[in-house]
Amino acid sequence: MIIKRSILILAAVMIVAFLSPKSAHASPYEGYVYSYWGDAVKSPIAYLPSRTITGQEMGIGPLTTPTDMFAAPDGNLYILDSGNGRIVVLNSEWKAIRQYQGFDNNGKQDTFNKPEGIFVTGAGHIYVADTENRRVVVLDGSGALIREIGAPKSEVLSDKFEYIPRKVIVDKAGRIYVVARGVFDGIIEFDSEGDFTGFIGTNPVQFDPVDLFWKTVSTKEQREKMIRFVPIEFNNVDVDADGFIFTTTADKQTSIPVKRLNPSGIDVLRMNGDWGPIGDLTRNPSAFIDIDVSGNGVYRTLDSTRGRIFTYNEDGNLLYVVGQVGNQRGTFKNPIAIESFGNRIFALDRDLGMITEFTATKFGSLVNEANGLYSIGKHDDAAKIWEQVLRLDANYEMAYVGIGKSMLRKGEYKQAMTYLKLGSDREYYSKALTKYRREYMRENFGTYMTILIAFIAVVVAMRRGLRSRRGGMKQNAVSQGH
Amino acid sequence: MQFLKDIKYTLHVAFHPFDGFWDLKYENKGKLRVALAILLGVTVMMILKRQYSGYVVNFNYPLDLNSINELKYIVFPFLLWCVANWSLTTLMDGEGKFKEIVIATGYAMLPLILLYLPNLLLSNVITLREASFYYLLESVAALWFVWLMFIGTMTVHQYTVMKTIVTMLLTIVVMGVIIFLGLLFFSLIQQIVGFVYTIYQELSLRA
Repeated sequence: MIIKRSILILAAVMIVAFLSPKSAHASPYEGYVYSYWGDAVKSPIAYLPSRTITGQEMGIGPLTTPTDMFAAPDGNLYILDSGNGRIVVLNSEWKAIRQYQGFDNNGKQDTFNKPEGIFVTGAGHIYVADTENRRVVVLDGSGALIREIGAPKSEVLSDKFEYIPRKVIVDKAGRIYVVARGVFDGIIEFDSEGDFTGFIGTNPVQFDPVDLFWKTVSTKEQREKMIRFVPIEFNNVDVDADGFIFTTTADKQTSIPVKRLNPSGIDVLRMNGDWGPIGDLTRNPSAFIDIDVSGNGVYRTLDSTRGRIFTYNEDGNLLYVVGQVGNQRGTFKNPIAIESFGNRIFALDRDLGMITEFTATKFGSLVNEANGLYSIGKHDDAAKIWEQVLRLDANYEMAYVGIGKSMLRKGEYKQAMTYLKLGSDREYYSKALTKYRREYMRENFGTYMTILIAFIAVVVAMRRGLRSRRGGMKQNAVSQGH
Repeated sequence: MQFLKDIKYTLHVAFHPFDGFWDLKYENKGKLRVALAILLGVTVMMILKRQYSGYVVNFNYPLDLNSINELKYIVFPFLLWCVANWSLTTLMDGEGKFKEIVIATGYAMLPLILLYLPNLLLSNVITLREASFYYLLESVAALWFVWLMFIGTMTVHQYTVMKTIVTMLLTIVVMGVIIFLGLLFFSLIQQIVGFVYTIYQELSLRA
């Protein structure tokens, strides 16, 4: 009786335990990275949504089609509320501390008209790509107009040139770079005085071989009706601490959607493995619409196809993926801009007029920390943290490579080989093998040489023995014959 | 002793193909079971190679490795080649019998074992810089194999050089045709089976 009852109780407890809902921290999206073989491998969630805010919650009325956002070095978040023609500044507690509705332009009240890009310099100057007014407006921290930069003037530009600035960035030297709609020559560069100096970083022309075939066989009249092959235009930019410009291209045909341009406009982005930073390796590729550079060469790209944020390190390795299109908190409807500050990522949703903040989980901060140490060459310190990362995710290839490289430096070649193989790094595996081979031969040279010499001696001795016996037999035969 | 003799003769074919293939055809020195043993050996060799080549030169996705696949990639093409070659050469005045074609093709595959085995061992101790030696040996094995196939076909069918080359290329085309017909056949059979099954279903449901 007692046994029966205890079994019943046990069963009831088990049912309750199994039916109870999962932990409340379940994420609305899944974490994954791509393995060396191009398989999506599940990995722990690196960033979780921590809070969201809309215009109403800021107490300033809803945001209408916000288009861009900028996280200033002092922790303030500048939101470009395009539909309302205003800039909203949030402090790190997410209180709206300032608003710029318009500015005084030579005694006249002037406003923005559907601006699409914002950039704030270290000195607190606000650069706004005032798209429909076809100009870039520079304001100081108090909202007073410093300068207005209109369309570039030069003989190299055709008369039909239309200037529709979309995004603006400013490098440390004060040079202004503008991405404009319908401009295929690259990024428009102005000097710090606002004078046009040229284009940098033109994308190559891309075309479909099939189209090219039809174009070659068609008549001139037909050809004129066809679409022309033009270079792909950039759609977003960011600048890193060294003054290199990161650009994104949303065209789905392109194989290099992200570029890192040096001051002369040459792409110097590092690529690792067979795939560059292209987002999802699926048939329907990712379309990057924003890029954000954070410290240590890490950059994040925003994919509009699936609403995911891909984070890459400076070698082009995918660190983690955050976010997704959906209806839950932490997912997006139409993400338009991302920014990051410390261990937090902000994403701006255009349709919802909402900002979502993501905060690093334990896994995310470990990866960030390890990658930071790794990128400045402190491989041994990084290896200790990579080991903790591996404890959370045994499939994280970068961690194996990190530990492998550290062991290679320490002289543990055999161990290094194991780790580098697990991390699928052939180049460093080969380096470790070279060292291990040399070490192995040095230690065992004596043994092998002894065996070899002994072997040769035995062979020689046997041959001599055989020959002498055969010779003896021959002699016998000869003597018998006589 | 017979076993040693067989080995000696296969090596003789590999190194002196003109002489070796002549003896194979006219002195009846070639043996079907040796040819099939070489085929088996090559299959095993390829399985080992995929699995145990050194990491530096091994680009096989571990989860995709399947020994049964080697049947698809080696035994099936081998049989297809023999059938296609025989079908073609009977129409093109070849003197070879089917058995001779199988034996000659089998013996011609020996270099694949001869070079792949040391190459497999070598691949485990080489680095990326020395990987070109590995690929060199790999190509040498392939060229040697093609060379032996060429001499084998020429001798077995008593062809001229040009005719041999044309026949070999045509054989590859015929292999394609056979595969195409095979697929067509199977797809037709599938249709017929489906049709019969539908009628059966219809009848059984109505009854």
